[in-house]
Amino acid sequence: MNSLRRFSAALMVAAGLLSAAAARADSLPAPQGDVILTVSGAITNTNDDGTARFDMALLDSLPQHSFATSTIWTEGVDTYEGVLLTDLLDALGATGPNLLAKALNDYEISFPVADATAEGPLLAYRANGKPMSVREKGPIWMIFPYDDVEAFRTEQTYARSIWQLDRIVITE
Amino acid sequence: MPSAPRSRPRYLRNVLVGCMAMAVGVLAVLSAEVRREMRLFQEEPVDSIHWNLTQLELDLVLLLSAAELALQQDNPPLDELRKRFDLFYSRTDLVRSGAMFERLDLEAAIRPLSVRLDGFLQRATPLIDGSDASLRAALPALVEDVQALRMDLRSLSIRTVEQYATQADQRRAQLARLLRQVAATSAALLMLLVALLGSVLYLNRQAERKTAEALRVSSRLQATVATALDGVIVAGLDGRVLDFNQAAERIFGFTRDEAIGQGLDRLIIPARHVAAHEAGMARMRETGKKKVVDGGRIQITALRKSGEEFPVEMSITSNSGPDGMIFIAFMRDISEPVANERALMAARDKALAAEQAKTNFLAVMSHEMRTPLNGVIAAIEIVGRKAVDPSQAKFVRLAQSSAKQLLRHVNDVLDISKVEAGHLALSDSPFELAPMLASLADVLRPVAAKKATKIELDIGPDLPLVRGDSFRLGQIVQNLLSNAVKFTDGGKVVLKAVLHPQGARTALLDLSVTDSGIGIAPEDLERVFEDFVMLDPSYGRADAGTGLGLAISRRLAEAMGGQIGAESEPGKGSRFWLRLPMPTVERAAPAPAPAEFVRTTAKDGTDDPVLDLLVVEDNATNRLVMEEMLRLLGHRSTLAVDGREGVKKARVHRYDAILMDISMPVMDGITATGLIRAEGLSKDSRIIAVTAHTMPEELERFRGAGMDDCLTKPMTIRDLARTLSAVSVPPPPLPPASPQPADAVLDALRIEELRQALGADGIRRTVAQFLRDTTAAMDRLRSAASSPAEARALCHELAGAAAMVGASHLHRHFAGLETQLRNGDADAVAAAQADSDRLWADASAALGALTEA
Repeated sequence: MNSLRRFSAALMVAAGLLSAAAARADSLPAPQGDVILTVSGAITNTNDDGTARFDMALLDSLPQHSFATSTIWTEGVDTYEGVLLTDLLDALGATGPNLLAKALNDYEISFPVADATAEGPLLAYRANGKPMSVREKGPIWMIFPYDDVEAFRTEQTYARSIWQLDRIVITE
Repeated sequence: MPSAPRSRPRYLRNVLVGCMAMAVGVLAVLSAEVRREMRLFQEEPVDSIHWNLTQLELDLVLLLSAAELALQQDNPPLDELRKRFDLFYSRTDLVRSGAMFERLDLEAAIRPLSVRLDGFLQRATPLIDGSDASLRAALPALVEDVQALRMDLRSLSIRTVEQYATQADQRRAQLARLLRQVAATSAALLMLLVALLGSVLYLNRQAERKTAEALRVSSRLQATVATALDGVIVAGLDGRVLDFNQAAERIFGFTRDEAIGQGLDRLIIPARHVAAHEAGMARMRETGKKKVVDGGRIQITALRKSGEEFPVEMSITSNSGPDGMIFIAFMRDISEPVANERALMAARDKALAAEQAKTNFLAVMSHEMRTPLNGVIAAIEIVGRKAVDPSQAKFVRLAQSSAKQLLRHVNDVLDISKVEAGHLALSDSPFELAPMLASLADVLRPVAAKKATKIELDIGPDLPLVRGDSFRLGQIVQNLLSNAVKFTDGGKVVLKAVLHPQGARTALLDLSVTDSGIGIAPEDLERVFEDFVMLDPSYGRADAGTGLGLAISRRLAEAMGGQIGAESEPGKGSRFWLRLPMPTVERAAPAPAPAEFVRTTAKDGTDDPVLDLLVVEDNATNRLVMEEMLRLLGHRSTLAVDGREGVKKARVHRYDAILMDISMPVMDGITATGLIRAEGLSKDSRIIAVTAHTMPEELERFRGAGMDDCLTKPMTIRDLARTLSAVSVPPPPLPPASPQPADAVLDALRIEELRQALGADGIRRTVAQFLRDTTAAMDRLRSAASSPAEARALCHELAGAAAMVGASHLHRHFAGLETQLRNGDADAVAAAQADSDRLWADASAALGALTEA
């Protein structure tokens, strides 16, 4: 079901990219608003000179995913919405085995692409239906369903839970 | 059912298992705690405190540098400052929300920092969010504020980290302690396991040893049971055989395989005892009460495979086995011992019978030998009375003396036999010693006088009255005296008697007979008391005894608890002595005269009245002799051959006296006397027993039966005359006031005969049969009136039957009718019908009463 949905979503993105490719070399639509995420490195689909730049609308066009969870940094349970990392990588045709995620404050963390699964992480940019400001760990928080999956309640996962994410580099 | 001292290892094992359970429990609790602690470590619900505080400080430094950079420029861009503020702001959220610190119990520690940050943000945020101009204007103040915050943040962070470190140390220590506890508990558990293993091994070894022991015992027991001489059968509560040993196979004939699993009731219990056996088993199952079981040895009948029943001696024990109660029966075939015992008892019975036969023979001899002798002696006396010529008289005297001699011999032999057979009955009655001894001396004085020998008495004047058998004592003294007289010529015989008191009621009679005769050689002194000893066979042959006199005396003396002995000096004389313990008696009344030995001379019977006598005697010779004697004495006699005839005669005639023999065929004298005394014309007549039985107890019996006197055979005319002199002639008999005894409805004599022959039950049966038969015959007789022949046959039958049961009236009636019928009187039956009915009613009533009695 999930894979089917992802498959159809990929088809859709691919169709959009193909039609754009007819006019330009870049296969992704160009962002119209503020760019909140830039993906570079070993990706197939780009929209600006080998990189993929996303504004809120572009991210919204990708398959949406959400879950509710508590975190060790916040109080209470909140619902987080956004795009699963794996969906994003699929949409970009990422080919590298690793990725490097960077935050506004230049915090970075690297981990294998294979660790991005249907369970997480989620590139959340809405909390309880509202966009997240920088003060609230926005614009994007790579977050895991800690409550639902015990395996995510580890220090490594906490280290990967990068907030104020704005760049991803797919590395060879 | 643990018995504590015996199963110490088991007890120990239980303790070990308990300890282990406790250890496992403790371990489980500790493990849970460790797991929880470990989970705390593993799933760290907090991000690194150091990292976050350092980042907070870093973000603050970056904010400060952004603010300082902006301060140094004119009209500076504010984007970087705002970004740095936002980043710092987001970072403070961690401290201000306090969620993470709360989880780490650092809420209190972080509080000052949180408050400090709140204060800063409240001042700075409006500036940052305000217009560029106002922000630019506020930049110096902001830089100062941030610098101050930085100093505070540093110290506050360090303090929080210190606190955290302390807590972390505590938690590590806690975990370490927990792990140590787990380790200790595990070690204890391990040790317990080792101990348990040890105890299990020990128990196993012990169990092996016990198993081996049990096997050894069991095989030994098996061998014991298998080779036991007694049959051993083990059965369950359901009566089924569980074990059957070789001896049981041998005894009962079943193989072990055949027997096992079978019920005892089918196997070895005779069919007729099965019900009792099952009842016993059921009772025991229900009540638990045992009767045969554990009840010791019993003797029962068992069954072999062949169906043969045989006696076994058995004992059953019970035991509670693993499969419930079991019974172990030990059985011994005792058919052989039982057979032996039976044979032994049969042999004993035979011996007893032989002894009885000997006794009977003695009794018969006593009668059969003395009775004819009696006849011989009496006959000779009668012959001697008649005038015979002198030469014949000599032979008569010879015959007389020989017959008397013979009688003495017979008496001697019978005495000896009696004593030997233990049949000597000693009487025990009081008597005067002095007169008795005097009379004995008197009897022998004439004989002594013929030999010019004097008999002297040396008897104390005041001898007390004594108890004992005067007859037997007299017999001894007479023997001693006659011996003394026999062997003394022209001398002196002294009879001396002294009573030495021995106590209040006893005395020792010291009696001696001393003569001045020829004496006895010392070597012969002891022999004189032996049987058939005659020291001088040639001496006095004509008058000689059997040689039994002293032998009898010795036996009698010993039988009376006394001693007898002799001293002698050949040529000078002998002294025979008798020592006898004798009870003494208070002299309350004059002692009875010693009738047996003071023989009075009968008066001549010429003046005596003529008596009408009945002689009841079975022996023809004796009858003849008595009849002749009585004729000589001038009396009238009627003869009867046995008791029954005597009773018949006595009933219809009144005799002055009846001389009644005791031992007779058909009916003895005692029974006959009883019947005569019961009814009849002679019921008050004097009845004199004539008998060879001379024992005192016999005389008592005769008196008890109703006899008045006793004559001992052989009798002399003098004895007879004396005895009869006591008979007085009664007044002439009165006419009978009651119906003639012969006219009685029932013949008592006949009834008595039936009673003796058939017993009480037999009579009852016979009478019942008679009543049934006669009722039927009477009916037939009524209807047979037209046929005289048939009527006559019926009358004959009725008369016979009536006679048989002693219905005398009825008998005479029908006998009369039969005669009338025979004489042609065809109507006799019809004419006598009323009489027939009446007599029949009387007879049946009397017979009925008789059988009910």
